[in-house]
Amino acid sequence: MAVATHRPITAQTGKLAPGTLAFRILLYSVLILATLCALVPFLWLVLATIKPSGEMFSDPWILVAHPTLANYQQLFTKELAPGIYFGRYLLNSVFITCMSVTVQLFLSSLAGFALAKYSFAGKKFVYLLMLATLMIPAQVTMAPTYELLYRMGLVDTYVGLIIPGAVSVFGIFLFERAMHQVPDELIHAARIDGCTEFTIYWEIVMPVTRPMIGAFCLIGFMGTWNSFLWPQIMLHTNHRFTLPIALNQMVGIYNQEYGMLMAGTFISVLPVIALFFMLQREFVAGLTSGAVKG
Amino acid sequence: MAYNRKYRPERVLARVTFRAAMPGLKGFLIAVLRSYPYGAAALSMLILATVAGLILAFNPPPKKQADLVFWTFAKPHYEAYLQVIGDFEKEHQVKVDMQLVSNQGLPQRLQAAFQADLDVPDMCEIEISSAGSFFRGPLEHVGFADLTDRIRSEGLDRKMVASRFAPYMSRGRVFGLPHDVHPVLLGYRRDIFEKEGIDVNTIETWDDFIEAGKKLTIADKRYMIEMSDTGSDQLETCLFQREGGYFDPQGKVTFDNEIAVETMKWYVPLVARNSKTRIANVLSSSFGTVIAQGMENTYFLSVVMPDWRSKIFENDIGKLSGKMALMPLPAVKKGGRRTSTWGGTMLGITRKCKDKDLAWKLAKFLYLNEKDLAGRFAGTNILPPVRAAWKEPAFDREYAYWSNQKLGRIYANFAPEVPAQYTHPFITLAKTKFGESLTACVQRYTANGENGFDEFVRRTLKSKADEVRRQIARNPF
Amino acid sequence: MTTTSIEKTSVREGASGGGGYLRFQQKAAPYLFLAPFFLLFALFGVYPILKSVTLAFYATSGPKDMVFNGGANFTFLFQDRDFYIAVGNTVTYALFSVFLQLPIALGLAILLSQTWLKGREFWRLAFFSPNLLGQVFVGVLFAVLYQPQFGLVNKTLHSLTNGLVPLDTKWLGDPNLVMPALVLTSIWMYAGFNMIYFLAALQAVDKDLYEAASVDGASAWQQFLNVTVPGIRPVTTFVLVTATLGSLQLFELPYILLNNGAGPDQRGLTIIMYLYNKGFVVGDLGYASAVGWTLALGMLIISLIQVRITGAGKEGQQ
Repeated sequence: MAVATHRPITAQTGKLAPGTLAFRILLYSVLILATLCALVPFLWLVLATIKPSGEMFSDPWILVAHPTLANYQQLFTKELAPGIYFGRYLLNSVFITCMSVTVQLFLSSLAGFALAKYSFAGKKFVYLLMLATLMIPAQVTMAPTYELLYRMGLVDTYVGLIIPGAVSVFGIFLFERAMHQVPDELIHAARIDGCTEFTIYWEIVMPVTRPMIGAFCLIGFMGTWNSFLWPQIMLHTNHRFTLPIALNQMVGIYNQEYGMLMAGTFISVLPVIALFFMLQREFVAGLTSGAVKG
Repeated sequence: MAYNRKYRPERVLARVTFRAAMPGLKGFLIAVLRSYPYGAAALSMLILATVAGLILAFNPPPKKQADLVFWTFAKPHYEAYLQVIGDFEKEHQVKVDMQLVSNQGLPQRLQAAFQADLDVPDMCEIEISSAGSFFRGPLEHVGFADLTDRIRSEGLDRKMVASRFAPYMSRGRVFGLPHDVHPVLLGYRRDIFEKEGIDVNTIETWDDFIEAGKKLTIADKRYMIEMSDTGSDQLETCLFQREGGYFDPQGKVTFDNEIAVETMKWYVPLVARNSKTRIANVLSSSFGTVIAQGMENTYFLSVVMPDWRSKIFENDIGKLSGKMALMPLPAVKKGGRRTSTWGGTMLGITRKCKDKDLAWKLAKFLYLNEKDLAGRFAGTNILPPVRAAWKEPAFDREYAYWSNQKLGRIYANFAPEVPAQYTHPFITLAKTKFGESLTACVQRYTANGENGFDEFVRRTLKSKADEVRRQIARNPF
Repeated sequence: MTTTSIEKTSVREGASGGGGYLRFQQKAAPYLFLAPFFLLFALFGVYPILKSVTLAFYATSGPKDMVFNGGANFTFLFQDRDFYIAVGNTVTYALFSVFLQLPIALGLAILLSQTWLKGREFWRLAFFSPNLLGQVFVGVLFAVLYQPQFGLVNKTLHSLTNGLVPLDTKWLGDPNLVMPALVLTSIWMYAGFNMIYFLAALQAVDKDLYEAASVDGASAWQQFLNVTVPGIRPVTTFVLVTATLGSLQLFELPYILLNNGAGPDQRGLTIIMYLYNKGFVVGDLGYASAVGWTLALGMLIISLIQVRITGAGKEGQQ
């Protein structure tokens, strides 16, 4: 946020931030302390993955006496359940998450486009309905959704996990808001040039809305990747477990092998972190755009 | 009008030049990226989804190939069964798929699978505390097959320790075969006891034990015994020792009766902070690295030791070999019962199992075959409920880990005295409520000591038990 | 903000320029674009809501066995002590989120918005990063950090306080420490997240207002009250409402931290955990729906009150 850095808040009047050196040092130490609190658990996790299991608890302040990759090796080569290795869980999570986000992205942006740039009969009704469902927390519908998927024979399937989540009302509002800002003249010109409506969406509106897509991808990815309750209810076969469920199971069986558990935790959080660094600018912009503009 | 111009010319032009300028694979990739309107991150997700999806599609969960699928949550069981399952397969010309599954969420998942007609294993071992929850709902919808007639007609109820069927019954029908007896002793740090001059032979009652404990306990450093002040694991063992329990055989809630009150009043001062007789504490877990560290560092000098736990100690805390030994549980009164019980496992055959006769044969093979049971005991330290098997020489082996004691013989000697425990569909709730009572009583005792404690214990247990009763009354099935 | 009032007429105008097919596809486009979403939305958004209304009046054992039981689910719910425990815990947690975590987030944001500060980007990333970890993973990690005797938290506190905090402090085993442990963990996870909102809001406050205030001789505190607070009010309301709603739906964190349970004395039992236990462990889907509706109603009332108190409706439009 380069823009932000150059905007003085308390300006030169600076009573909130008296220019004294001591004051600044004090504030810096507060910041450093807070940063330590924020980062140390994470650092500990990383170090724990390269410590031998026996040394995990012996002294947390010794950084690493005998660094080893044995934990990772064990994690990936151990048969965690009959015929299942950690890689399978990783693959499940990757598939379910990426598929969910892709479907959500397509459906939400398309619907958001329709709402932002067209007037049609029943539009008010659609808004009303979506707002109403937004007010009702997901937990209300968990039981009936489970019952519905049971009737459709979709309990314990990937489809059953992905499809109900493909409807992101939140995403629609996000895109609807972003697309309002696409100038009508642009769409107009395309229409006069004879573009079909879908082409307008695909070739003109979406590329312009990229920052919002970035934010949406990250939010959607984090939501699905980290979700536990719904997969916990829906999935029964070990072959389909996602990382959060698998890790929770591993805690139950491998209470003797903390190193491996920590390695599993680390691998599980890595993709989100990587994606965040790819998308963080868009993410912060997208996250706050709605809130700040009220 | 502009009908023939699908794209705006400058866009098309830009694209064409772009492609021309970037030949080969790289150019192609960039062209793909440009024509996918959602950007690089979204495109990589699409690609990842496709790749992962393809891999998963070519590696579906294996179709059931075995004649029997068998789930167990206990690693020692699993390892022991694997060693003998080959014999069964050869004898009957069948294939058995033995699977170790995590107990974390297993009961819930299996129950949901029963309720939703999903794939379930043919046979499954269930932990004693969750067995009851499978018996909610109409009898004909219980996921496990009714084994009552098979057990009666083959006289198994006489051959095995009868009290061990109780936890697996509902409305007079038996749904599981007991795997074990699980007598409880104390496992203690023999080296430390000897160093401190404590002779375990002089400890006969809990009073003796507490006396010794007061000498050895150093607050925050060393505790005589591992006992929880929030969870009911050890309290429950003490309750059973006194013939108390959560439910009576008729399914009535009993954990607020006189026995329970006495047990609670006796137990709380052992674990409450500020208590003069505090000799016990607990760490975050009774298993794994945590307890291993606790034992090695002499944070605990003894633990309640059912037979199954002795194996876990041998495996997880190898360093203590030769330093550990077993002693009978101290009696409540002189001459009283010197054992109790903790835990248990049943083997159930699911209603969906196609070949129930074969499953029954496997159940008997694993649970009743005297010769194999002796061998299995060597692998698990778990005393089988079949009395005849205890005569085998394996039960007279000396264990170096346990300071050359005859572990099997000791457990077998106390097995006939193991008290019964009864279950109910709401057993999990009852356990939770009993644990809550313990917490409340410990807090009260820490704050007020003996002052009005008796009345408080009674009131707390009564109200918690009433909660369970209300919950039971509500169940329409 | 871009306003798009011309859009209303744009379709008709555009249509005049095309032939039969173009005209048709322009008319049909919004419906076609909405169709796939709407189909799924009707099935998995609207239907379950309607269904949950009826389901709440049944006792069930899994999706197969159902018995109509009138309003018994609700009457029992309001008699069940466990439900009150769950509500108590959840509300306590939410209060800590609002009155402890949000002020910390605001404080961090104010710190980071100081002009002389170097490396703002880094600090912001550092504070935000814990939020990237899902609650499950945080739970697994912190369960280890909170270990008595050997865990990082106790070892650190023990040496920092010179032994005042005993090494065997049972963060997750002592009923009185479960909630503090949960709150600490959630501050770690979410303070940085909410800070992002406050920071963005602070940076959007008009600088001239500060100039004017200081010309008038307002102290730093007065500036904060009279310029900053009104300036960030809409965001505050937004953060307040979302943080509260999020807290009321707490589940994974205590569930994983407390080893798939409610913890000692059920001090970690939350409303959603209660719902999960009753609905999906015991199998009473009907009761779960009743719990869900009760929660939904509570959430609605609380957020309405919050919006009212902070008065975002009035002053947010400036």
